[in-house]
Amino acid sequence: MIPIEHYVVLSALLFVIGGVGFLVRRNVLVALMSIEVMLNAANLAFVAYNRSHLARGVAHTYEGASHTGQVLAFFIIAAEAAEVAVGLAIVLAMYRLRRTVRSDEADLLRN
Amino acid sequence: MTLGTAYFYLCALLAVGGAVSVVAAKNPIRCAMGLLLLILSVAGLFLALRAQFLAAIQLIVYAGAIVVLFLFVIMLLGPAASTPSDRRGLAARVFGGGLFGLGGLASVTLVAQAARAAHRTIPMPAPDASFGGIEAFGSVLFSDALVPFEVSSGLLMVAVVGAIAVARGRQGSHSLSHGEQEVARAATPHEPLRPLHPGVFSHELPESETTERPA
Amino acid sequence: MLQLFPARDYALIAVILGMPLLGAFVNGVWGKRLGDRAVKLMALSAVGISFAASIVAFAALADVVRGEKDAHVKLSWTAWEWMHTTAGRTGTSIPVDVKFSIDQLSGVMMLIVTGVGFLIHLYATSYMEKDKGFARFFAYMNLFIFSMLVLILGDNLPVLFVGWEGVGLCSYLLIGFWFENGANAAAGKKAFIANRVGDFGLLCAMFLLAWYAGALDWNGIANGASSLVVPGDAARIHVWPLGGGQYTGALSFLQPGYFQSHHTPLLQSIMPAAAVTVSPATAVGLALLLGCTGKSAQIPLYVWLPDAMAGPTPVSALIHAATMVTAGVYLICRLSFVFVLSPFVMVTIAVVGVATALLAASIAVVQNDIKKVLAYSTVSQLGFMFLGVGVGAFVAGFFHVFTHAFFKACLFLGAGSVIHAMHARIHDDDAAQDIRNMGGLRRWLPLTHWTFAAATAAIIGLPLTSGFFSKDEILYRAYVDRTVNPLAGSTAVRGHGVYAPPEWIGHALYWAAVAAAAMTAFYMCRLYILTFWGSFRGWTVGRPSLLAREEVAHDGHGSDNLSTPGYPPHESPWQMTVPLIILAAFSVFAGALLNPGFVKVEKPMDHWLDPVFKAATEGAVIVREASEWTVGLGGIGAFLVGTLLAWWVYIEKKGAPAESAKASAPGLYKLVLEKWRVDELYDATIIAGVDSLAETSAAVDRGIVDGILARLTALLVAAAGTVLRAFQNGVVQVYAATMVVGLACLGWFFTVPHAKATVTDAGNDDYLVTAAPGVGYAYRWDADGDGKPDKPDFGTQGALKVHVPPGTTSLVTFEVKNAFGFVKAKKLTVTRPQAPVSSL
Repeated sequence: MIPIEHYVVLSALLFVIGGVGFLVRRNVLVALMSIEVMLNAANLAFVAYNRSHLARGVAHTYEGASHTGQVLAFFIIAAEAAEVAVGLAIVLAMYRLRRTVRSDEADLLRN
Repeated sequence: MTLGTAYFYLCALLAVGGAVSVVAAKNPIRCAMGLLLLILSVAGLFLALRAQFLAAIQLIVYAGAIVVLFLFVIMLLGPAASTPSDRRGLAARVFGGGLFGLGGLASVTLVAQAARAAHRTIPMPAPDASFGGIEAFGSVLFSDALVPFEVSSGLLMVAVVGAIAVARGRQGSHSLSHGEQEVARAATPHEPLRPLHPGVFSHELPESETTERPA
Repeated sequence: MLQLFPARDYALIAVILGMPLLGAFVNGVWGKRLGDRAVKLMALSAVGISFAASIVAFAALADVVRGEKDAHVKLSWTAWEWMHTTAGRTGTSIPVDVKFSIDQLSGVMMLIVTGVGFLIHLYATSYMEKDKGFARFFAYMNLFIFSMLVLILGDNLPVLFVGWEGVGLCSYLLIGFWFENGANAAAGKKAFIANRVGDFGLLCAMFLLAWYAGALDWNGIANGASSLVVPGDAARIHVWPLGGGQYTGALSFLQPGYFQSHHTPLLQSIMPAAAVTVSPATAVGLALLLGCTGKSAQIPLYVWLPDAMAGPTPVSALIHAATMVTAGVYLICRLSFVFVLSPFVMVTIAVVGVATALLAASIAVVQNDIKKVLAYSTVSQLGFMFLGVGVGAFVAGFFHVFTHAFFKACLFLGAGSVIHAMHARIHDDDAAQDIRNMGGLRRWLPLTHWTFAAATAAIIGLPLTSGFFSKDEILYRAYVDRTVNPLAGSTAVRGHGVYAPPEWIGHALYWAAVAAAAMTAFYMCRLYILTFWGSFRGWTVGRPSLLAREEVAHDGHGSDNLSTPGYPPHESPWQMTVPLIILAAFSVFAGALLNPGFVKVEKPMDHWLDPVFKAATEGAVIVREASEWTVGLGGIGAFLVGTLLAWWVYIEKKGAPAESAKASAPGLYKLVLEKWRVDELYDATIIAGVDSLAETSAAVDRGIVDGILARLTALLVAAAGTVLRAFQNGVVQVYAATMVVGLACLGWFFTVPHAKATVTDAGNDDYLVTAAPGVGYAYRWDADGDGKPDKPDFGTQGALKVHVPPGTTSLVTFEVKNAFGFVKAKKLTVTRPQAPVSSL
């Protein structure tokens, strides 16, 4: 069996890679994709912890094992999708306005 | 080395490779492909963690919708999607990225050390067969997690409307980017400006800049 | 009338003071709106009613004097309680009230001020007729009358000082009346500043009197005056070394006796051999003298008076002839009993007076501006008054004030009349006042001529005029008298020396005064002859045909045709001539008031004023025996010499000797014409010093405060802004990087263990040491101070009880380990102090 720590370390590693990518890359699309990477890493951590902690919390209706981590990851994916949609719409609007997708050229509040 | 271990390391390697590709590739298509690889790897890891339903959802929503959306936008932008790299703002970026990276790696190391020093291992329980299945998932979703479920549907509605509103924009208002301004300044009067590649926005360009209609 | 107002609460004083104040207020605030006629009426009635009330008050005072059998009486009135100041060596509380009193001395001054003031106001209504500052002028004049009355009627020094400053202010306002011309404004400033230097002296005197005499009103000072000469070193004021004490170390060469012990001959004679101290009376006297030299234009502060001629002529007549400049003499008379306590100060006053008289007379001999001659003449006559009071002849000095008011005012008003006539022909201000452009004016200005002649006769001391009596009295007393400190006897007995003036002082003062009187006669006759006799020399100056087409020679009293050359100057209207006549009459006949034996007056001036000066003149001794007639010959001789010389030079020889004298000593002539360059000397020394101080301050302000401090601050702020601006450049990744920095700091805070402990008293001589909690913290204690932990393992015990008896110290060490395995140690010293031993 793979101990849960391995999954958590992997998740941390992916998170760091995604974070560095967001901070360094100036292409907005790549920055958005880096955010995806970070969120995937978070999802991985949630699901890993869920696998190792099956006890339920205080208030519950479902009588089986706790699925909290997986459900949370599910909602993260949903919110993610919404975020990506809006984010890409913003990228398109910025491109239409500035003809660029570089983040350091969108630094003025004017126009 | 059991099969499970090998499977884990394979998925982990592919995931890290995909993430690095997302972060480091110049061509945005390569980035998107890297993202796809990552998502597939993570879906595989979900399977190893007995989250079958989630793995399927990951593949359908992430790989099937989000990455496709990225690809659409990249192709919509055309060559403009890839930006030339230069050294502007290198100090801030390197500082921020470096600090974050070092800090993250340091914290992971510390936590791992602390865990090892605690001399404890977390026992892995054995869940029953229906764990992670669609029935169990659905039961939780519609009982304990009902409120977030409904709220997220509202969220998705808002996102759709917002995306449409933002992406529609105003007709005909645009200004030149910095790079294009430099090009315009460098061009001598009797030399015509190098026209932009029409892309799909050619109907919004001023008439004088249009040189050829798309094929 | 006395039944109406009791002597203690003589409220008519309020009318005397209040009317000019009311006039000033009404004219000042609403003057422009009211129009010239109303302003005239208000101003004249204000001073007129004040004068009438003064006469009534004087009559009441005479009644009281008769009733009290010639004691020193006063009618007083308290307006309100002003303040209490705790001073005096005994720490007494000195009440200072706004209190006014009329006694024999101030009664006479009051009549002069209001009477002559009224005549000058009447004169000014015509002189200032066309001026656009008409209302402002009369407001200031009334304010001046009010201030002067406050000065002379004040019953204590603070109230007098209020009036003192008030007349200084009004002098400034009136000298600089035509302030659009910068020179006039500068003259006003000069007057005020020179006065201010004197006021410093007066303030010092007030402080000294409050300290030593313990009172500030006339009665109180008189009672406490003996403490000004308390013998013994403790009460004396140390002049050198300053403030007592000794000079040591690097400054020891300043110590008295240093050069004597080191046998340096030159410096030995200059530097003092023993500590120099003066009695408080001397200090007070010198300080008061400084104030009086400022107000009464003596050396060294006389320089403002000639410049003050920049003001209108009525101003010169009222302020700088009759009233304000006599305030200094009045103060000396008022505090006569203080001055006589210090013979040194008395001699100083006399010497200053006679020196000023000589200096001013010498300058007046060569001046060409009619008003400047009269100004220097005023300074010279004030010198005479100072001489009079300096030798102890207070009545004589004051009588000269009295007569001087009349003839000097008459002279100034006459000069104003002449200028008025000249100005109608010549528009240039300077040329209209130049006596070289005048001559033969007696043909066209008869009234002015006769009044001017009468006043001139009085000032040069024509026998039987008032000026003769007053001046002769002063000369006589300078020769024969010497005041002695009334308390000299008791002081000498206790072994402290009293200053005794040298024997020849009387001679020197007398002959110097005679020389000054001779010069006075000469220059006044010169002025009179050059102005009114001979032929008119101003025909070709500023002739209308030589002026621009637009300028028309104006008359102001009718439409005369002045386009033809040769139109002569004209006489002044009645408002100007009537005061002249009245003043001239007084100049001639006021001598009778001194009762020379020819005319019997019920109470001659010296008997009237004697009670006031009784305390001061008790100790007067006759030094030299001389008959009044023999000494008086000196005065008459001076008059004759001066007049005959002037007649010979200017009428017989038509000014030729003067011209040849001028040509033979051009350098000396120029020096005297430029008033001995005293102003230039002040400029080069004092003004230059103050200027360089100001320049230094300005340079410091510019360079250091502005250049360094202000710019440095701005630079720092700008630099901080430049740095901070980089964090807000709009690039999202920079913001994210900033967040990462914050995150890193937070991470550091949680990763590093923090070792803190609080110590509380747990009773029973125990202290409870509680370590601060944290996530995953484990502790290890060492309570016995041996350097080794009590238990080798880290435990979760977060608090430790330590037994610390009183007076002992305990060293506690504890180590903290957090979840990541980092350890931090902290040492604590726990002390319990000894319980305080109760002492009985």
